[in-house]
Amino acid sequence: MTFTNSQIHVEDLPHVEDVELKPISKAYLKIIVLNTLLVYSIIFAGLFGLKYLIKEEEFHDNFWYVFLGVLGCCILNFIIALLAFKKRKYALRGFDVIYAKGLIVHALTTVPISRIQHVEESRSWLARQFNLATLKIFTAGEAGSDLSIKGLPHLEAKRINDFISSEVNGNN
Amino acid sequence: MEITDFSQPIRQSVKGIIVIFAFNLVTFIKKFFVLFIAFGVSILRSKSIGNVTPIMMLLGFLAILIIILVYAILKYLNFKFHISNDDFHLATGIVNKDNTIIPKSKIQNVYIKQNFLQQIINVVSVKIETAGDKKSEIEISALDKPTALLLKKKLFRKAQIELSNDEEIALTEEPEVFFKVTPKRLLLEGLSQNHFKSFLLIITFAFGLYTEFKDVLKELELEQHVEGFTELDEATIFNLIITNVIIVIGVVLISFLFSVVKTFIINFNLEVVEHQKTVEINKGLFNKVSLSLTPSRIQNLVITTNRVKQFFGLHTLSVKQAMVNVKQQKNFKIVALEKDQLSYLVNKLLSNYEDNEGEKAKPKPYYMRISALEMLVFGAILNSVSLAFFGIKMLWINVMFLPLAILYVYVAYKKAYYIISENFVSIGSGVIDTTTNVLEIHKIQSVKLKQTVFQRPRDIASIVISTASKSVTIPYISKTEALSIYNFLLYKVESQDRDWM
Repeated sequence: MTFTNSQIHVEDLPHVEDVELKPISKAYLKIIVLNTLLVYSIIFAGLFGLKYLIKEEEFHDNFWYVFLGVLGCCILNFIIALLAFKKRKYALRGFDVIYAKGLIVHALTTVPISRIQHVEESRSWLARQFNLATLKIFTAGEAGSDLSIKGLPHLEAKRINDFISSEVNGNN
Repeated sequence: MEITDFSQPIRQSVKGIIVIFAFNLVTFIKKFFVLFIAFGVSILRSKSIGNVTPIMMLLGFLAILIIILVYAILKYLNFKFHISNDDFHLATGIVNKDNTIIPKSKIQNVYIKQNFLQQIINVVSVKIETAGDKKSEIEISALDKPTALLLKKKLFRKAQIELSNDEEIALTEEPEVFFKVTPKRLLLEGLSQNHFKSFLLIITFAFGLYTEFKDVLKELELEQHVEGFTELDEATIFNLIITNVIIVIGVVLISFLFSVVKTFIINFNLEVVEHQKTVEINKGLFNKVSLSLTPSRIQNLVITTNRVKQFFGLHTLSVKQAMVNVKQQKNFKIVALEKDQLSYLVNKLLSNYEDNEGEKAKPKPYYMRISALEMLVFGAILNSVSLAFFGIKMLWINVMFLPLAILYVYVAYKKAYYIISENFVSIGSGVIDTTTNVLEIHKIQSVKLKQTVFQRPRDIASIVISTASKSVTIPYISKTEALSIYNFLLYKVESQDRDWM
């Protein structure tokens, strides 16, 4: 066997910044919206429930301020969720899986396939209605290094799952 | 013990009964402690509850003791283990019989431990850990030391190199005591510790005591003294200062003592033994532990020291291994190492580690902005608390706080650096302590690039590198630099076909 030890030029290495990241399925936005709506409808229901239960004047004077505050939070939450949705992207390379997300704190995580312990494809009830799936990738690392790619089209998730599984098993 | 080849199922030493008995008794008392107290108090008060007399209680207690003893004997009789070929077999259970078989190759760690009782009756316990959850842990609670050592050796030896003669192995594997701590160095180590933690602990403890005994203090008419201070003539101010100084000195002394005693108990007779491939740590006063470090399982090394310690040449090395439970994790710590001993050990654990290989780079000055912000928040909290409790006069606290905060920001930035070399990543950090984190690139599990909205216009990002046991951060570097590190690390991990464990 001929041994070569060529110099590595960092500029020539594969660039993660040049990888074309794929956005997750648009349908997942609906799930986010539905989930947020559910949370806020519970909060609003609770608020109005309090309005009818509490008889004190002070509460009623301030009620609409509280209401406006919560409404503001709700709208802000929706805007951030909408903008952050565009940041949720993923890519699969020959040797690793890349996942990017986050508006306020943007994080780009890469897990080499050789370090993956197992992959899991999970689908909640809501996700099944939109034909979506969540791909969970587990490494041996702390909880922080596990990846969970939400909102993939079911078929895509399955394909990635199969690909990674075969790669992981092939390495062993 | 005559049988030491472990091929036949054997029991542990008879003294095991005592250990099991004591262990069960302690757990029993722990569980029913509150009940005991309640019963005891009510009996002392009224001599009897219902029809139960103290004598009956005593008899009941004796009965419980006997039950626990019988249980311990049965447990001892039904606890047998042996080694056959490549597996470790263990049979346990009095009514439900359990038969556990562990392949040697799946054993992650073998610890030898000795608690206070075991030291008295001169036995050790052997703990066998496999990958996976806590349930898969096995403990043999009483073996005499030579047997335990032999068992450990047998468990670690692979089936392929099974030699017929045990002496041959003893020859090929000359263990060498590489480092032994002296009491003087332990004392220094305890004294030079970061005392802030114990200081805070004692302050809160004293405060708790004070609020508890406020009424008592009032009765002792200390209140009058305190009120006397408000007059503030010169003599009383002097008194006040003296009292405060005495209190502060007292607290400092106590926290020093606390640290020293703690260091001594944990690290008593600390010994690092060098084997051919592994390194063994022995330490402890009441709880003697013996642990081995296997280089392939090591994920991160953390080296800590501080100014004072550096002066005395004291360095602490903590080793983070994969597949070790959290409780054991903190035992993998070697204190009071000399500089050259430290570098020798690091080189042993991480082959070819050279500190000066690779270029030392620093985070962007943006780092200082973040620490300044942290200090600002801390200062705001400090000010509002002191204002709320002591009134407007307490604002003088800022005279002390401000220079300290500036020093904090400056030192934190000064100590922060990172080195990316061919095979290693080293990251330095710390304010009071000087911490160096080292990890091998091929043990990386994932790499993460983090950037907040505020950092984007400034083109600054952080990198989080995770291994199987720890995540470390290279904070606030330029984005281009971050990306090139990111690409380099991934290239390194993916191009070499090296296992992380």
